[in-house]
Amino acid sequence: MLDRQERRLVILFLLPTSLFMLFLLWLPFIQGVWMSFHLWPFMGEPKWRGLDNYTRFLNADYFWDSIHATIIYCLSTLIQLVIALSAALVMNQPFIPFKSLWRGIMIVSYTMPPVVVGGIWLFLLDPGLGMVPHYLMQFGIIDEPIWWFSNGDWARWLITFVAAWTFWPFMFLIILSSLQSIPREYYEVAEIYGANTFQRFVVVTLPRIKTAILIVVILRLAFNLAKIEQPFTLTGGGPGYDTSVLSILMYRFAFMSGDFGMAFTVGLFLVAFTAILLLPFGLVYQRNLRRHSL
Amino acid sequence: MTGHYTRIGLTERIVSFAVLFLILALILIPYAYIIVTAFKEPGEVFETSWMPEQLSFQAWADVFTIFEFHKYLLNSLIAGLGSAILAVIISLPGAYIFARKNFKFRETFFYLIVGTLVFPFILLIVPITITWIKIGLFNTFTGLWLAFQIFAVPYCVWILRGFFAQLSPHLEEAAMVYGCTQFQAFYKVMVPLAKPVVISVLFLSFLYGWSDFLFSNMLTTGGGPQTASIAIYIATAGGERIEWEMLAVMTLVAGVPPTVVYMMAQKYLSQTFATAT
Repeated sequence: MLDRQERRLVILFLLPTSLFMLFLLWLPFIQGVWMSFHLWPFMGEPKWRGLDNYTRFLNADYFWDSIHATIIYCLSTLIQLVIALSAALVMNQPFIPFKSLWRGIMIVSYTMPPVVVGGIWLFLLDPGLGMVPHYLMQFGIIDEPIWWFSNGDWARWLITFVAAWTFWPFMFLIILSSLQSIPREYYEVAEIYGANTFQRFVVVTLPRIKTAILIVVILRLAFNLAKIEQPFTLTGGGPGYDTSVLSILMYRFAFMSGDFGMAFTVGLFLVAFTAILLLPFGLVYQRNLRRHSL
Repeated sequence: MTGHYTRIGLTERIVSFAVLFLILALILIPYAYIIVTAFKEPGEVFETSWMPEQLSFQAWADVFTIFEFHKYLLNSLIAGLGSAILAVIISLPGAYIFARKNFKFRETFFYLIVGTLVFPFILLIVPITITWIKIGLFNTFTGLWLAFQIFAVPYCVWILRGFFAQLSPHLEEAAMVYGCTQFQAFYKVMVPLAKPVVISVLFLSFLYGWSDFLFSNMLTTGGGPQTASIAIYIATAGGERIEWEMLAVMTLVAGVPPTVVYMMAQKYLSQTFATAT
């Protein structure tokens, strides 16, 4: 099907991507699996451990702490979707002025480096001098400063909210561009048939942004599990292991304890968790694709 | 044109503006407070006030003289630029082939790469750190550039392929009628057409390199190419007293460039997102 010149081009052009996959994805992954069977220090000789890392992790207290934190932290995706969808619907209204200015402001939290956002909220929430506790006390909502980050429940929800605050613009941008591609005439027709705002949303808008929503939910669920810079800055995974979502736990084993074998073991559990979480969404996505192609 | 929308009810308008103001307030209040803090005297940070008693540039001076923050910023810049260029070099030819040539296992190959987008790639930091130490890439820019590709390449391939796939299927043929070879058809016709998408892909991978913390923190140590994110992390985790006014300055200085880049690229980016989904 391809002539010789074309075949040579295909091979040559696929070379960089193939080398990337081989040397930066697959070989490191296999090497990591090999490492997970060892006690593997940062420097020095690795020692064979068999399945020790796995059984130790499954039996450790921090295993359930970490799963608990990870599940709560995932809910941040839902909060992001609510904010992003509201913002996108508002920004698609024809009567809102200065749209590009608002859009520019809205994406700021997403464009800032995550560590920066972590630092900002660490300051704003600081029990001693932060703005948030100050106003909460002033308005009589709390009587005394709460040491959020020494309390597991508070800490878990705070990192979840801060993640939502940071990452919703990603969903917003994609949902908005999907909204903008809906022809105006559809709304006019719906109006002629007497559809009210809610009906217009359900009949005209929703079917056309469904795929975009599905894609952003899949991407953000996966990204949120791995993007842990701000929770790491905020709590470092503590108190204890209360906010050590799987990726933070992995990072702690690698960066803090220098136990690289255990770190990759935790990483493999992160892969499994991500896969289980994404499976139902992936199936829906595939069914949608098939329905469209029929 | 606007005549069609006179029927949008008053309630709907009020609710829309209320939501808009709420969202803008949620974003602007924290940042406004950080800006105010950056101009406070060190002792004044402890009071929650919106007006510094006296405009102070002490924190700004300290950040650059004592903390030498510009060195970290320069490292971020080099890390981001190199990573962006490398990402385009790796992914542009591949994305082009995935979009426009037919060959065995094309779909499988493509999804193996793009699938890594949802793969929690940070676990690869574990073997990569060990390997980089072994082959001398630890604590070097090259090491950072290569490591950043793990995230950047799948993203770039996804976006670039989406762009090439929606171009007319007859472009190369037409170019070859005019005497171009396959390769010339690529760089004389396709690459110029792809310019806006290549620019947004450059921006996105630059921002990733600039903002990254987890990889850079693991792959560098003091004296090496430590980036601004690492400096900020050190400032937040460093000991008993956090210098909040200095942290506020660093936050602004490290956070503004990517924001400006995003604003500049907005036009390209919204096009890109529209073709990618």
